[in-house]
Amino acid sequence: MSYEGWILLTGSLVGISCGIVGCFLILRKMAMLADAISHTVLLGIVGAYLISNSLEGIYMLIGAAIVGILTAFFVQLLHSSGVQSDAAIGVVFTSLFAVGVILLSLFAGKVHLDTDHALMGEITFIPWDILEINGINLGPKAVWMLGAVLVFNLIIIFLFYKEIKISSFDPDMAVALGIPVLLIHYLLMGMLSLTTVASFDGVGAILVVAMLIVPGATAYLLTDKLSVMLIISAIVGVLSAFAGYFIATIFNVSISGSMAVAAGVIFAITFVFSPTHGLLSRWLARKRLQNKSA
Amino acid sequence: MLKKWAIFMMSMLLLLFIGTGCSSSNEAEKQNGKIVVTTTTGQIADIVKNVGGEHVEVTALMGPGVDPHLYQASQGDIQKLSNADMIFYNGLHLEGKMGEIFEKIAKNKPTIAVAEAIPKDKLIKSQSGANAYDPHVWFDIDLWSYAVKEVRDELSKFDPKHQQDYKKNADEYLKSLQDVKAYAQKQIAQIPEQSRVLITAHDAFGYFGRAYGIEVMGLQGLSTDSEYGLKDVQSLVQTIVSRNIKAVFIESSISEKSIKAVVEGAKKRNHTVTIGGQLFSDAMGEEGTKEGTYIGMYKHNIDTIVSALK
Repeated sequence: MSYEGWILLTGSLVGISCGIVGCFLILRKMAMLADAISHTVLLGIVGAYLISNSLEGIYMLIGAAIVGILTAFFVQLLHSSGVQSDAAIGVVFTSLFAVGVILLSLFAGKVHLDTDHALMGEITFIPWDILEINGINLGPKAVWMLGAVLVFNLIIIFLFYKEIKISSFDPDMAVALGIPVLLIHYLLMGMLSLTTVASFDGVGAILVVAMLIVPGATAYLLTDKLSVMLIISAIVGVLSAFAGYFIATIFNVSISGSMAVAAGVIFAITFVFSPTHGLLSRWLARKRLQNKSA
Repeated sequence: MLKKWAIFMMSMLLLLFIGTGCSSSNEAEKQNGKIVVTTTTGQIADIVKNVGGEHVEVTALMGPGVDPHLYQASQGDIQKLSNADMIFYNGLHLEGKMGEIFEKIAKNKPTIAVAEAIPKDKLIKSQSGANAYDPHVWFDIDLWSYAVKEVRDELSKFDPKHQQDYKKNADEYLKSLQDVKAYAQKQIAQIPEQSRVLITAHDAFGYFGRAYGIEVMGLQGLSTDSEYGLKDVQSLVQTIVSRNIKAVFIESSISEKSIKAVVEGAKKRNHTVTIGGQLFSDAMGEEGTKEGTYIGMYKHNIDTIVSALK
C-alpha cells in the first residue's frame, strides 16, 4: 500500500476508535478527560525513565499507559464519591501533571524528556514505522496497535451494549435493574485510557483529543439514539481523516493538525445545518410557529 | 424524514472528500543524477552540502528557527523522506521518537545518525548511570568534525565514483572548521576570565562551554517541558552580581520571558545586566543569510558573546 494509503488508514482507525469511545465521554460530560490524560502521561514517562534509565519508546509507552489508567481511575473515584465530573478531572489532571513536572526538575533535569518528544507519535511517519516478524513486512506498527484497540473496544461495546447504555443515561435506573454501574464505568474509563495512550503513541495528542470529542459532539447534534450516534461518530472520524489529509496536501502543513481542523469544520457545518438540533432548523421551526400563531 | 436528510448529508460529504482526497499524487522529481539527501537539522544539511558539493541535492526537514524539540512534520515531509537516497540525522535522541523511525528506515536505505559516530567517552552524560547523552554536539567543533568524517565516509560508500571529490571537500571543510575554532579561541581570550559565564534560557551550550572553558548556566533544563524554579532565578541573579557579568542571552528558538525575569532581578540589586543579543542554539538562521550556514552561525554566536561579555 502507498504511503498515503497507510496514513489515511491510520487516521481512519483513530477516527473510528476515538469517535466511538468519545460518544460515551460526551454523554457522561467528561469530554476533557482525554486532554487531562495527554498531560498526566508526563508523570508516566518521567517515572518510566527514572525506573528504566532509558529513553526507549516501549518503556515510555508502558509508563504512559499505567498513568493513563490511573488518571481515569482517580477521576472516576472522585466522581463516584460526589465530586462534580469537571472538577474531578481538573483536580486529577493538575496534581498528576505537577508531580511529573517536579520529578522532572528534581531527577531528570539534564535529559531530553518531554511528552511531545518521548511519547507522542507523528502520523506523517507512520508508513516507515514497520512491524516486521521473521523478516516479513506486516505494515505499520501503529495500524496493528490501533486495529487491536478498535477490535477490543468493539468487543466490549457489543458485549455490554445494554448495560453501558442504561448506565450512561440513567445510572439510578441501572442500579435498580441490578447492573454493576460502577464496574461498567471503570470498564469505560479503562477503554478510554487504553485508546488514548495507544493513539498518542501513533498519531500525537492534538489529533487524539480532537477525534475523541468532535465526532461525538457532531453525532450528538444529529441523533438522539445511541446506536446511530456511535455510527455517525465513527463516520465523522473517518471523514475528518480524509478531508484533513486533503487539506494537508494542498497547504503542505501538519497532517494531524489538518485532520483536527477538518473535524472542527464538519462540526461547524453540522451545528448550523443539523435537521434536528441545528441553528437553521431551529430558526425555521420558530418562524413556522410564529406564522401559525399570527 | 430527518434521518434520511442526515444520511444524505453524510454521504455527500463522504463522496466529496474521497473524490478530492485521493486525486493528489505528487510524482517524485528526479534530480538529474544527483544523490538526493534529506537531513533533520540545518547543521547536518550544511555538512552534506559542503562535503557532497555538486553531487548532492540536500533538503533539511527542520527549517530555520525550528527547535527540534518542537518540530512538527508537514505533509511534504513524506516526499522528502521517500524520495531521499540517503538520510542523515543527529541521533542521541535529539529527534525523539523520530529516531526510532530512522532506525527502521535504515533497513531500506542508508540512514545515518551522524552524532553517534562520536566516541561515547567524549560525550557529556546527562546524569551519572543513565544511558542518555546531551545531543547538542554541534557546538564543539572537534566533536562535529567526527560528524563531517562520518558524512564523508558514508557518501563515499554510497557513491564510490566520486570518492576523491568527497575527500577533498571534506578536508577543506574540516580545515575551515579548524579556522573557526582558532578564531573562537582568540576571541574568547579577550573576555576576562572571571566573566566567562554564558547565561542562556536553554542548556544547549554544554559542549560549547566545555570546548572553550566557559561556564554555562541556564534557567531551563535540557527538556523544553521542565520548568525553572524560583531558586534557580535567585541563585542566577546572585552569580551575575557577584561575578560582574554584563550580559545574558536569548536564543532563536526559546521565548524571552524567563531570561527577562533574571534581568529584572539583577536590576533590583543595582547591577545592570543587558540582554546580549540572540544566539542560535538548536536551529540556524534563514537560508541565504550569513547565519544560515554552520560557520556563519558559529561566528555570529562567538561575536555576540564576546562583544557582550568583554
